Amino acid sequence: MFIKKIIVALLLLQVLTQIHAQEKFTISGTVTDKRNNETLIGVPIAIPERQTGVNTNEYGFYSISLPKGSYKLIVNYSGYEMVEETITLDKNIVLNLKLSETEKKFQKAQELETVIIEKGKKINLRKPEMSTNRLTAAQIKKMPVVLGEPDVLKSLLLLPGVSNAGEGASGFNVRGGAADQNLILLDEATIFNSSHVFGFFSVFNPDAIKDLKLYKGGIPARYGGRASSVLDIYQKDGNSNNFGLSGGIGLISSRLLAEGPIVKNKGSFLVGGRASYLHLFLKLSEEQKENTLYFYDLNTKLSYKLDPKNNLYASGYFGRDVFGLAKSFVNTYGNATFNLRWNHLFSNKLFSNLSMIYSDYYYGLNLDFIGFNWDSGIKNYNLKYDFKHYLSDKFKLNYGLNAIYYDFNPGTISPSKPGSGIISDQLDKKYAFEPAAYFDVEQELSKKISLSYGLRYSLFYRLGQSTENLYANNNPVVFNTNAQIYEKAIPIGTRFYDRNEILQTYNYLEPRFAASYQIDEKQAVKTSYNRMVQYLQLISNTNSPTPLDVWTPSDKYIKPQIADQVAIGYFRNFGENKYSLEIESFYKKIQNRMDYIDGAELIANRAIEQVILNGQMRSYGLEMMLRKNEGDLTGWISYTLSKSEQQTPGRNATEIGINNGAWYSSNYDKLHNLAVTSSYTLNKKWSFGANFALQTGQPGNFPNGQYSYEGITVPSFSLRNESRLPMFHHLDVSATLTSRKNDNRKWKSEWVFSVYNIYNRKNAAAITFKQNAETASNEAVRTSIFGIVPAVSYNFKF
Amino acid sequence: MKNIIKFLSFLTIIVSISCQDVVDIPLDTENPRLVIEASLNWQKGTTGNQQKVKLTTTTNYYSNVIPKVSGATITVKNSANVVFNFIENGATGEYVCTNFVPVLNETYRLNIFINGQSYSATETLVPVASIVNIAQNNRGGITGDRVEIKTNFVDIPNINNYYLYKYEYENTIKPDYYTDDDNLFQGNPFFSISRKRDLKTGDKMVITHFGISQQCYNYLNILLSISGNQSGAPFQTPPATVKGNIKNDTNFENYPLGFFRMSEIDTKTYTVQ
Repeated sequence: MFIKKIIVALLLLQVLTQIHAQEKFTISGTVTDKRNNETLIGVPIAIPERQTGVNTNEYGFYSISLPKGSYKLIVNYSGYEMVEETITLDKNIVLNLKLSETEKKFQKAQELETVIIEKGKKINLRKPEMSTNRLTAAQIKKMPVVLGEPDVLKSLLLLPGVSNAGEGASGFNVRGGAADQNLILLDEATIFNSSHVFGFFSVFNPDAIKDLKLYKGGIPARYGGRASSVLDIYQKDGNSNNFGLSGGIGLISSRLLAEGPIVKNKGSFLVGGRASYLHLFLKLSEEQKENTLYFYDLNTKLSYKLDPKNNLYASGYFGRDVFGLAKSFVNTYGNATFNLRWNHLFSNKLFSNLSMIYSDYYYGLNLDFIGFNWDSGIKNYNLKYDFKHYLSDKFKLNYGLNAIYYDFNPGTISPSKPGSGIISDQLDKKYAFEPAAYFDVEQELSKKISLSYGLRYSLFYRLGQSTENLYANNNPVVFNTNAQIYEKAIPIGTRFYDRNEILQTYNYLEPRFAASYQIDEKQAVKTSYNRMVQYLQLISNTNSPTPLDVWTPSDKYIKPQIADQVAIGYFRNFGENKYSLEIESFYKKIQNRMDYIDGAELIANRAIEQVILNGQMRSYGLEMMLRKNEGDLTGWISYTLSKSEQQTPGRNATEIGINNGAWYSSNYDKLHNLAVTSSYTLNKKWSFGANFALQTGQPGNFPNGQYSYEGITVPSFSLRNESRLPMFHHLDVSATLTSRKNDNRKWKSEWVFSVYNIYNRKNAAAITFKQNAETASNEAVRTSIFGIVPAVSYNFKF
Repeated sequence: MKNIIKFLSFLTIIVSISCQDVVDIPLDTENPRLVIEASLNWQKGTTGNQQKVKLTTTTNYYSNVIPKVSGATITVKNSANVVFNFIENGATGEYVCTNFVPVLNETYRLNIFINGQSYSATETLVPVASIVNIAQNNRGGITGDRVEIKTNFVDIPNINNYYLYKYEYENTIKPDYYTDDDNLFQGNPFFSISRKRDLKTGDKMVITHFGISQQCYNYLNILLSISGNQSGAPFQTPPATVKGNIKNDTNFENYPLGFFRMSEIDTKTYTVQ
């Protein structure tokens, strides 16, 4: 019903605008990099006469409709030569633009980087878009990182409003949200686990990445399914002009990427691989030689231009981590995605993309010495049809449909050898279907005011085959008033649902809104609101996600998370657009955030509802970012002041709730978060980078007493997360040496020297309170992961 | 069992690249709270007449002295209202009973009166599976080069059993405890396993298997997980207030710590071959 209404409304709009637009003609096309034919995302195309413009979309396409006339068209994109074209618009025009990279003052180190350098990236004051950050592969590669491995997720941590649970922790937290509340898309496919080696490295090969965008708020209606943020990552298409090879050799891993034309200027391929060789070092140590620890990943992409109106893309990702202790313990996990996309131009105003996506996350564990084998995973099949309708220069309409089918395997248990006492078991598989429809309007009301508004209607069906537990009063968790603790309820019965029978349905309307008011040429204020609904929950009660954590769909007992966020911001470009300043403030509230009863066991738990209570979350804060966008010295200072809290009150007056029902700091609450990053190009040969990060310590629980029980010492605690680890900070530097010989040869190379944590700060990853095994006295033991870490890596390209 | 999985998966990697040092972290101390260790154990094949209850309080985390609590009146009553008195042995905070009569699956009630406050709890005496044998494997452990001791038993079929395993080693200050439930091995032969790293020939150990109630299992799980708690570690779970089954009937808010546990036990001593 609802969808029908939207379609009718959209058709009406279209008819209206067509009538209105009779005197108008359309100029459209694709913007690419001249050197490799890579499409360029977010390129601004300005029409100064009309004080309007348009940006290229994720596939490099643009379209703008203007009244008949003659116009100057200016394309000024960071890192590329400015293009000015004068066009006479008396009919529809297709104008494909090929941009050439800027000749630099020096043959800079960035020469090697295949992707654009984000320079002259002033804030777009007209667009209502806010709370978003874009990073390019070039920027990511310039930042000094631990062990010299450029890392997509680690670079996000330098942005305002983004933090994580510390060194070696996986995932990231956006505006006080949990790591499982981030929607991570790689070429539109959902990635469920973003880290290798439990969080030391991210799964994204920086060589294969073109561009990424992080939405922290004001999230457009085309995205849905996670409460806090969207990280949209696009892989490169591959060079369709020439064959090229690039790679890097580092201390931990090496990368190699090949790209080239299949059919010149029409089709291209890209294959990129990365593998670590940590385990080779383990072999050197007598104690560790039996152990293995490695990861690898493979990015592939095929692009083909069928004709000017049709483009096909096939892309895939496969990554695995393998971690083994001798032969008695082997742990394997990773993501795999495959996706097929078809870009079609229905007209020069109507762009469409159809995606068929398969994505899969696998986790396996084998404990040979116990005779235990465990497999789990999540598969999903995703169909997306998105339309971008460039109705006029003042009005753009996006709409589309999306349907995802999920197949969860919470665990298959089997004995790994004869004689094992383990009983084979299959934890109930779970199935779900999540369709959604949306529309999203980008509208310029006046020269000063622009709006973006949209609505997403999402539905969720929890499907059979499944057996549902039934409880007295529908209550899977009971409160023991005597002991004042929550306990598992005993099911009073079960109900069997057949294949594809519906266990539970949810549906929500998710409004999205953003507005900007441009005060003058240099400054603007913007505001936004979004509602996001998250139907999948990560079952995890640790500070940061672990590969073992199981995703589960919402059902009768586990409710979807509903996030509402408002943000306001002030934006300013100054110093002839060399500098920009962004100040934003946000407030986010999330309903139905799960919390776990004390002592909840989550692994192989077949009735997870018995240990879960529904609570809520809130976070609020102020973010500032001052950037220098141009010159030999570029970089930014970002600072975030924020609070993130969680509360699970009792369900009635007799219950105490979790943590006595009081608000408590979430595990990712960081009051202060300061990051400074800069890069400096000295000359043709040398360039330098530096990062400084300082954060309030991680919330934790320190004992406020001890007692002795059955011969062991037990610490006692007050309420949750009332203590904090010491302040976390480190300074990292890097130097890049570009070979002089590069000028006159095809083979180009560079050396990157870096030092992480240069003043060797022992940042506490954990404080452990324990009894000393020899003296029997209690003590506080600090675990720090990275001290000073020097690293060198070699990158090449030809 | 599940804890083993977690332990192995995460700690090893962290430990292998990190460094540890002792730091000075000042800590607050809450008002002392009563701790009741009412653990009644009945070794198979004995009378179980001798039983003990210990009373202590909480204290500053870094203190080396655990305060004892003297002067309490302690009784345990069975379902037929037969009362067993626990008398303090000097001023040790240890209260003993010499005429206790244990009966499997019988329900007992504990009453403690001290400093104007009265505490009570009920618990059932839980049976345990007999230890069948102890097996030594010299190629055990996760790296395959360690001495590993497996204590085998056959799970009692058709009921949900909860176990507490205790490994006490000669010259080691604190015993190792593990909890288990028969969820994954209902009615099958299973085992507990030593986790001490450096066992060698001649090392003596005492192995005890306790039958415990589900509530006790939950309690001990939380207790054991926080007794080696890490604060702020990526895989840390939130520490819980470990509330046992003993209630303060005078002032509800002033709850005691500890547990009233009633277990049949099976103990074996073993010397590494």
